[in-house]
Amino acid sequence: MPKMKNPFEAFHQTSSRKREIPLDKILKSKEETLSKVLKGYEDLLKNEAKDLVWLMQYSTVIKAYSIAEKGIEGIEYTAEDIEEFCYALDRTDQIPYLITGPAGVYISTLCNYAKEEEIALHLRDLNVKINLLGYRLPPNKKLIVEGNVGDFTGIGLDGGELIIEGSGKNYTGAGMKRGKIIVRHNLGFNTGHGMTGGEIIAGGRIKGLGKIVGGKIFEREHPIFPNEGVKPFYF
Amino acid sequence: MEIEKIIRKVWPKVRKKHLFPQIPPPKVIEGGEEVALEIKSKQLFISNSFYEKLKDTMEGEEIVEAVLDHGITHYMYCPWDFHTHLTLYNEAKKVVRKKEVAQKATTYFMDVVTDTYCVKEKDTKIPNLYKNLPKTGVHEVLASLYEKIWGVDLGGGGFDERVNRLSRIPYLERKRWEESIKKFTKVIQDILEEELENEQENPQRRPNPLGEHSLDNYSLDEIDRGLRDFASAVQDLQEFKETVEDLREELEEKGYATGGMGRGKGNPIDANLLYYMKLAESYTLPIRKLPIEKRGDLHPHSHMPWEMGKPFADIDVWTSFGKIMPGITQIWMKREGETYGELEGTPDCLIIIDSSGSMINPRERLSYAVLGAACACNAYLKNESRAAVYNFSDALRGNKIVLDFNQEKEQIYQAICRYFGGGTALDLGDIQYLLSCADNPDIFIITDMQITNLEKLIGFFNQIENRVTAVHLGHNVHPTRSKEGTETKKNISLFNIKDKEDIPKIVLGKIKEYLASTSEWG
Repeated sequence: MPKMKNPFEAFHQTSSRKREIPLDKILKSKEETLSKVLKGYEDLLKNEAKDLVWLMQYSTVIKAYSIAEKGIEGIEYTAEDIEEFCYALDRTDQIPYLITGPAGVYISTLCNYAKEEEIALHLRDLNVKINLLGYRLPPNKKLIVEGNVGDFTGIGLDGGELIIEGSGKNYTGAGMKRGKIIVRHNLGFNTGHGMTGGEIIAGGRIKGLGKIVGGKIFEREHPIFPNEGVKPFYF
Repeated sequence: MEIEKIIRKVWPKVRKKHLFPQIPPPKVIEGGEEVALEIKSKQLFISNSFYEKLKDTMEGEEIVEAVLDHGITHYMYCPWDFHTHLTLYNEAKKVVRKKEVAQKATTYFMDVVTDTYCVKEKDTKIPNLYKNLPKTGVHEVLASLYEKIWGVDLGGGGFDERVNRLSRIPYLERKRWEESIKKFTKVIQDILEEELENEQENPQRRPNPLGEHSLDNYSLDEIDRGLRDFASAVQDLQEFKETVEDLREELEEKGYATGGMGRGKGNPIDANLLYYMKLAESYTLPIRKLPIEKRGDLHPHSHMPWEMGKPFADIDVWTSFGKIMPGITQIWMKREGETYGELEGTPDCLIIIDSSGSMINPRERLSYAVLGAACACNAYLKNESRAAVYNFSDALRGNKIVLDFNQEKEQIYQAICRYFGGGTALDLGDIQYLLSCADNPDIFIITDMQITNLEKLIGFFNQIENRVTAVHLGHNVHPTRSKEGTETKKNISLFNIKDKEDIPKIVLGKIKEYLASTSEWG
């Protein structure tokens, strides 16, 4: 009897050449960094928001910042990793819960300690508006955020330059000491509350100013603080 | 031609490398020295002029092999099918909002995925090819990206920030392609827009050297299937509409106008209609068949062994393994239909659809009523029966469509998709007229039951013997009235639809009791 030919013989002769390419390493390292950054954020939540409640107070922000500083110690990350983290916050499969206050403090810490002097975060597609972005941004740092942001943006700004390619909400630049906040569109109430120095420049409307001690605020290129109607406040 | 010899030599090797894809041998075309490859349906065309231009800098076999690797991987990996292509385009469009820019982004993304797959998984000369291709605009950035993610020197470099971002995209994770193409498009959006502007100013545009990706790459069947899958996958009607509108010209050029199932020259494409057509194709509603008439003809019914002397004409070659041998060969036993001595069949169907103000406008959002009616229409037409449509709002004031029984799918869909808004009243005279035009047709009515003269309708259904499939949408008290009113009638079945997923549960022509012997059908 003639020997039957295996119809799949030709497939057995093919050799697959799967090789590692630099892309594999880049993605692997990205995943590893992201998981470390996420762990730091989870630690912050465990310490600061045990009951998923976080009260926005002067002392809680300071405490959260110092925990975040410890959380990111030793992590090698880039501006792109910070952006990935922001999008991971949006996806519940990676982070069980998002609390915009601690998240903002944590992202600000990451920005303040990043290697790059200029950081651009493309957050246009983020579903949530993160609060407290740009907290304590130090001198020689430039943070550009593409998209809208939440409340308390750039509070305690400490010499850095914060550019928001979108709108901000209430208490933008509260307590800032020096530096510059440029917002392309609108701002909410209590803008610049308690600020002692620096500049806030809004390309659109500002709904209301807070009690301002010092610094300058511009609305559509016009100085609105200090000016004749709005005098510095002394706490 | 030299290139033809090379193709003949290289083709078996390339096929083997890609595990023998079922595509015909590539052909050679003249002209187009800047574009290496054209793909039409499943045919690859390699440009001789491109080859001639490049062969001084690269081995001829390497050129052909690299171009074929690229082309075949589009079939074998990305986009794989038209649905994936549409999905990627749809995601890119969400970022850039401009059709032409989204098309460019989709093309480049698919090329990056394809070539990266080849470089990782196959022994390919693609990097060599890129080394020798001109690098301007997006290609300059992509060359730098390839250098970074493939680890080869292509004579590129620069664009660090962009390349950093692009290199973090998981190109080979199919499940994340939707998210990946968005990121990819965002990073190169400004370059693509600039490229488009330049092209608009200068008609002598520089094409993609490895070919553009258009509808030409697909056969009509692939487009049919792709549109159907896309209709099921998109979040809403508007998304589908926008994509189809963008591709309208190409679809029409391809002969995909709305005649029949979207084929043939004729009316321009109605994206709404196409959406319901394609979505309805994803659902198959079963129809209970009915003994209609005794035809007296024979049909193959069962097998029996063939014996010497029995006619050859009745041999079933499939179950006989092609052999004529007693004990192996089988013949068909023919007999008349046995159900009551008659053949079963499917009657025609009258589709009654409510398009009053309480119903969703099918041209704005997904209407379950229209989808349900479309599924019913498909089911009857597939069984070679005819369908009539009575689309009504305030019928007594003329807000109605009365379409006689026919088998023209597009006409039926157009009648189903019409939206009136306003009050809800049926004109029973119209229904009686339509019922008189066919022999005991089934009735399929789909409504939220907020009909002003519902009692009359219930009374009418109680008088007739036609099988009635009544589909009720949403929650309200009216179906209870209908249910109570028709409870004793065995020929009326009520279904409730709360979600798209409930539609396949409809059984057309279901009856509670159909003659004593078939009571289990109910």
